[in-house]
Amino acid sequence: MTRMLLKRFGQGILVIVVLQTITFFLVRQLPGNPFLGERKLPQHIMDQLNNLYGLDQSAWVQYLNYWKGIILHGDFGPSLIREGVQVSDIIAQAFPVSLWLGVLGMLIAVLAGIPAGMLAAYWRNRWPDALIMLLAMAGICIPAFVIAPVLGITLGMHIPGLSVAGWDDALCAVLPALTLGLVNAAYIARLTRGGMAEVLSADFIRTARAKGAGAARILFVHALRSGLLPAVSYLGPAFAALITGSFVVESCFQVPGMGLHFVNATTDRDYFLIQGLVLCYGVLIVAANLAVDIALVALNPRLRSNP
Amino acid sequence: MTEYQQGNSLWSDARRRLMKNRAAVASLVFLSLMVLACFVLPLFPCIANPNATDLGNIAAGCSWQHLFGTDQLGRDLLARVLYGGRISLLVGVVATVVSFAIGLAYGLVSGYAGGRVDAFMMRAVDVLFALPFIVLVIVFSLSIEEPSKELTAWVVETTGWSRESVAPILGLTPLFVAIGALGWLTLARIVRTQTMEIKAQEYVLAARSLGLGHARILFRHIAPNLLGTVVVYTTLAVPGIMLTESTLSFIGLGVRAPNSSWGTLIKEGADRMEVSPELLLFPALFFCLTLLALNFLGDGLRDAIDPKSAKD
Repeated sequence: MTRMLLKRFGQGILVIVVLQTITFFLVRQLPGNPFLGERKLPQHIMDQLNNLYGLDQSAWVQYLNYWKGIILHGDFGPSLIREGVQVSDIIAQAFPVSLWLGVLGMLIAVLAGIPAGMLAAYWRNRWPDALIMLLAMAGICIPAFVIAPVLGITLGMHIPGLSVAGWDDALCAVLPALTLGLVNAAYIARLTRGGMAEVLSADFIRTARAKGAGAARILFVHALRSGLLPAVSYLGPAFAALITGSFVVESCFQVPGMGLHFVNATTDRDYFLIQGLVLCYGVLIVAANLAVDIALVALNPRLRSNP
Repeated sequence: MTEYQQGNSLWSDARRRLMKNRAAVASLVFLSLMVLACFVLPLFPCIANPNATDLGNIAAGCSWQHLFGTDQLGRDLLARVLYGGRISLLVGVVATVVSFAIGLAYGLVSGYAGGRVDAFMMRAVDVLFALPFIVLVIVFSLSIEEPSKELTAWVVETTGWSRESVAPILGLTPLFVAIGALGWLTLARIVRTQTMEIKAQEYVLAARSLGLGHARILFRHIAPNLLGTVVVYTTLAVPGIMLTESTLSFIGLGVRAPNSSWGTLIKEGADRMEVSPELLLFPALFFCLTLLALNFLGDGLRDAIDPKSAKD
């Protein structure tokens, strides 16, 4: 078990390094450069800018310097677009926003999705199941960028105090979090139903029923633990994706989080910012997958004896 | 007299089961109608030119002249939705075919080779799985934009077709390639597992002892038996890929003007939602219903072809 985790940890580091390498060379392949503004800069100024940021060196030298900066000084480099701003400053500003939004969204998704999936599994092939699964299917097929404006115009316009854009007060998080929550709740409900349905038709559940256990006891004590496994595997990566920011939701509600920076940095060719954001994402997704592995072992004792 | 009974093949069995599934049949009918509407209907003059502006009817509501109304430039929304559907469906299908080809080949080779080759190929898939999909698609599609422009120029030069007729479709190449080239991972895993299972069966051993080459065993004896699973998975992958395309288009990095897809139409609609909600309603409705139908059809196919995995 410890060996497996160590192995996963090593693989995680490898993933992050490969991810950074791919991103590094891909973004420099992009046509255009960070200094193309409204006005075309004269060549000598362009050369000076490139020299200042070390972009005139060969790609490999830049690549090694980038790693050296991170490992030796914890330096992610400067933003090429916003003068005098460090990438770490931008991330330090945007990450808490996306984190807060992601936690809220995940909470909504779990609180709505898991009970819905359990109910559907309990009444499987009857009308509550059909209804819940139809709703979940709709949740999967209606993309976030449709849910967001619709929530904005229905709830946002009619409930006083709710704002449909910006990030000034606590209530601003309500609509974006709700959008994130609804989309993910649909997936979680489907996975929970699948997992629970399988467990509920297992022999040990029949035994429990025969011994007179009530519905609540069967659902929560006997079935929940292993029925949750598929949903838990989904939760890790989904959570990592959520807290690194959802492009769509953040751009719909003008939330200054990581997702918005992701898109802007790519269109602006802000090389260091893209790499910093991707690194952040990579670390989180590796950490989330590791957490899922640990949670799966905790939920499923069979994994312990057989590493 | 002997009574003959016609044998049931796997596929006729599957078709019979599919036809019993009302949701899947309804989805199939709906999708056929949608494809007809997007690809055939615009050939008739009753559908306006999606880029023509009717200056007398700007941002008009629904009327007989413009069934779905017009946008802020006076363009007919019905025509725009149908032409947008063309692009969305096209990207969905072509990118799926790309990822289908890569995933099938990769999974077959990995599963058939086994051992170290398999271990290495699967670790590569694990790494790719951990990458932020959308970011990679964006960066990848931007970085192959130049080569795709060269491709357009080359096609125009060699075939002599007019630039206007090929540019809109070929301009989508970065999107096809980027989404397809990064969307094959799950399929490769599924194909690999199945290949390993089939490889261990006696008839493959028989084929090998008869002296058949690897290529023939792979493509004549193993690949056909994978087809069911692959078809099911591919159908279920189309909505995901269409969703990726529309998400990219929505944030302005996918389909660009003069093309428009359902994603860009939804974006335009969302921007003007307070003034004219139908600009959001119609594209969103077409898009969501198509995704819904694709999902139901995929589920139905899965239950029909592989009854073991069916919901209990």
